[in-house]
Parts: sequence; C-alpha cells; structure tokens
Amino acid sequence: MSESKIAKLHEGLVNKDFSCTELTKKYIEAIERDNGTLNAYVTVTADTALETAERVDKKIADGKDIGLLEGIPMTLKDNISTEGIRTTCCSKILEDYTPIYDATVWDILKKDNAVLLGKTNMDEFAMGSSCETSYFGGAKNPHNVNHVAGGSSGGVASAVGGNIAVYGLGSDTGGSIRQPASFCGIVGLKPTYGAVSRYGLIAYASSLDQIGPITTNVEDAAIIFDAISQYDDMDSTSQGRKGAPVCRNLKNDIKGIKIGIAREYLDGVRDDVRTAVEEAAEVYKSLGAEIVYFDLPSLKYALPVYYIIACAEASSNLGRYDGIRYGYKAENYKDVNDMIKKTRSTGFGEEVKRRILLGTYVLSSGYYDAYYKKAQNLRGTIISAFKKAFEICDVILAPTVPMTAFENGHAVSDPVETYLTDICTVPVNICGLPGVSVPCGFGSNGLPIGVQIIGDSFTEAKILNAAWQYENAANKFKSTDFGISI
Amino acid sequence: MVTKEEIMKIAILSKLFVADDEIDKLTKDMGEIISFADTINNAADEGGDFDNINNLSNVLRDDEVVPSFEREKILQNAKDSDSGCFLVKNIMK
Repeated sequence: MSESKIAKLHEGLVNKDFSCTELTKKYIEAIERDNGTLNAYVTVTADTALETAERVDKKIADGKDIGLLEGIPMTLKDNISTEGIRTTCCSKILEDYTPIYDATVWDILKKDNAVLLGKTNMDEFAMGSSCETSYFGGAKNPHNVNHVAGGSSGGVASAVGGNIAVYGLGSDTGGSIRQPASFCGIVGLKPTYGAVSRYGLIAYASSLDQIGPITTNVEDAAIIFDAISQYDDMDSTSQGRKGAPVCRNLKNDIKGIKIGIAREYLDGVRDDVRTAVEEAAEVYKSLGAEIVYFDLPSLKYALPVYYIIACAEASSNLGRYDGIRYGYKAENYKDVNDMIKKTRSTGFGEEVKRRILLGTYVLSSGYYDAYYKKAQNLRGTIISAFKKAFEICDVILAPTVPMTAFENGHAVSDPVETYLTDICTVPVNICGLPGVSVPCGFGSNGLPIGVQIIGDSFTEAKILNAAWQYENAANKFKSTDFGISI
Repeated sequence: MVTKEEIMKIAILSKLFVADDEIDKLTKDMGEIISFADTINNAADEGGDFDNINNLSNVLRDDEVVPSFEREKILQNAKDSDSGCFLVKNIMK
C-alpha cells in the first residue's frame, strides 16, 4: 500500500509522538553522519531549521492546528533563491552570493513553516546529467555510492533517496527532476510550464525551466504540487494550477483509461529498462487500463532541438554574470572588458562555457536560420505531434532514462554521449507538458529504474492519479542504508 | 566542420577567453556537438510554427510605483561599490 510520508510525520507531530525539534535534530544528525559520503548538501542550515522547529512546537503546545507541511524537514536545490542563505548554483561564479529575496516557491513553503535543512548540490547552473559539473563535486547515489545521483537536481534526489530530507524542490529544464529521481529510485514531478512560479529560480533556459517536487512517494509529490502551484504576478509566464487540488483526485479508479506508448521512446533503451517499462504497462492492464501503441516520428529531433534552444537561452541568461553586481570578480585586469572576460572564464566551469559557446554560435549571424530558427520551427512540430497523441490516449507511458545511474566519472568524459541519455525526458520540456517519474524496478546492476507518465498541459491530477495507482499496485520503492528510518 | 577561428570568434562574442591549451579540445568537442545539432537539418520544414507553449500571452500590469529593494541591500553582493553605486574601472578617458 502506498503511503504518504508527509502525512505520517504530520500525524506524529499532531499526536505528540515526537516533537518537531526532535525530528529536525534527527535529520541534522543524519546529515552530519551521511553527507560526507553522499555530498547531497552544499549548505546546511541547522540553526534556522531548529528555529522553525521551535516555532512549530510552540504552536502545537498552544493547541493550535498545524498545516500538513508545517514542521516537515525538507531541502531546496541550490538554484532556488533563499533570502539570507547563500545560493550558489554550484558555480564558482556564485560561490559567495546571498540572495536578498526569496523565490516564490520558498516564500510559500516558508510561510507554511517548512523546515529547511539546507541547500542541495546540482550540476553547475543545472547544466548536466550527473551532478558532476558541480563546483563542489557530484552527489552520490544512495543505492550505490560508486554511481552518480543523476542531474542536474542530484543533491535533492540523493538527500531524499538517502532519507536525509523528507522531500525537496528541484528544477527541470530537460529532465533534471525526473532523471535523478529515476536514478535514486524515488518520485520526481516536472509540472506543466507555468503551473509553478519561476520567480527566484536562477535561470538556465527560461522557456523550459520549471520547479517541481522530488519525494519518496506519489502522494507527497501531489501534496507539494498543490502547495506551490499558485499564480504569481512576479512571473510573467505564471498561470498557477488549473482545477481542484490534485490530492483530491488521487486514488481514482483508472479502469478504461488509455495509456499510450510511443514506439520511438523504446528505441535504443537498455533491455532491463525496456522490460521494467513493459512490466509497468502490464500492471496498468491488470488495473483495467488499455495500452495503445503509436508512432511519434518527430521525437528523433527532440534532443538537438532541446540543446539548441536551451543553450541559446542560456547564452543570453548567463550574460548577466559580469563580476560587477554580484558573484565572483577577477582580480587583475586591464579594463572593464578584460575584467568581465577574466571573471567569466575563471568563474564558469567547462560545461557551462561549452553551452554558452554553443548558444552564441546558434544565435550568431549566418547560423541563426539554420539552427535556432529551424529548432523553434521543429519545436512547433513536436508540440503538434504530442497534442495529436493526446487525442488517442489519456496519458503517455515511457522510460524516464534509457539506463540506470552512470558510474562516477563516466558522464564527464564524453559530452555528446551524455547528452543522448536525455532523450526520454527533453520532449516534455520542449512541449511544456507535465511528467512524473515513478520507480518501476531495478536493473541488472541492482540500481533503480524509473517509468515516466506524461500528460497534456495542466493534467497533473490525471498523471499523478495514474502514477499513484501504479505505485499502489506495484510499489518499487526501496529504502537505503542512509538517513533516518521512520 | 567548425574551425578554431570560428571558436575564437564565438568566444569573443561570449566574452570568454579560450586558452591556447584548451582550443584543440574545445574545437573537437564543439565540432561533435554542432554535428549533433546538424541532424535537425534532415527534418522536413513542416512549417509547424512555434508561437508559444500552452498558449501563454504576455501579462502586463498597471504602471504603478511599488516599493522595491533598498539600494544598500542591492549593493551588498557587489565586490566593489562606492557612494551607492557599483564600481567599475573607467570606460572613457
């Protein structure tokens, strides 16, 4: 039976089985013990966590009601701005940057008395699939520390999978929530573009970026999504959640729903992953769903389209790092231009520089039409293809990643080979759709495999319900040797 | 195929230095990445116009004066500031 960890802890707090301070201290001790191995956190905020815990304990002692998220220890990816708490994007260029405002998502959760344990590791500027482009070194997989946690939200996935946080918020530009969730055997939701405010999320590719939850179970992802999916006038692309809170629509019968599988999603996928996804389809059949196979030929262009658009937007977004207003500044220079160049060349890591160069290239005179314009045009084609697919099915089932977690060091050696592993996750970002990754078994090497459920825009309720039904019927979550046991 | 000269030109536009010992590897990596990006040129131009995703439209607000951040706060992340301004080397003589 699938069970919400947040609801269980909430009950424990309300029933006074333990105090919020006791719970928070347990997590802080677990971080002190395990973070040296997992490298999930880059900043631990024990003091503010305990202050919040004390506030929650006082409320409970005073006999006041507490909300579901109050007093629950959690974490944020280090590209989500936190006022007064260093936010580095895991880059040397922002190593000592302290935001003067909160991201809207953190503003919401902070008001709910969420207990922030610290900020978690990520690929530098969210550019990577292994967390290893982080200036602070990569986060490790709690199922096997010789393997990566995935990326770019590797720290959140490592912390949640290793139970040194109950849940966390990550960001997903091309799979950065779903891929590490898949690698670490947990749940990751990338919401519809516009459902969650991006205000205060340090930008990578603004037309693709979206904040979402990483949790151990589907119900927790629904709880967090309901909390953070609010319209925000600080984000000009914000729309908020459409319809009732998704939690109310979990646990609905899925008899008769049509689940689509695009054959192209299974091309080139490793055998054990393909088998696990096909087994998930069988579980759905046993729950009364109908499986519909279809073709999605434009999917083969999704990856180059993604990399062209993401890098083009990144080259523009990262133009702001000039050493003048915030962040690292080079010391010895001739003039302003020399200072900016030296600051950027020393402050950015190799992968970030590669993506800025690629983005500048595809936007430069003579190449714009062949790359950027063509990619935008194909983006339209891919969006239309998905819209058509949703005329014949309710949700789409696909692998999250074509393989299980890479060995440490493997991803950094060959950039193009690593880009190819994002094939199953990028289409969702290109089309602005919601997608959730749920654990669906273990590979031949014993590492977790994830299955992805994709829906049409603003159908989080539908995909999370389908995900919950699968999880409830075939729970593949396995706890690790790390963190605290609850 | 992308050339060293093109990489150097792009680096100038990106305000990045490329060290002499980095240029060969970078040209090779960029060459591979760009030939990967080239695969989109095999795609037929179906005229699938991309306007925006999820039918988003610009949200405009009334032009009202609202409180903003204090100057001091904004300057606290700058490495060099003077008299309430960001400090840079003089641009003009």
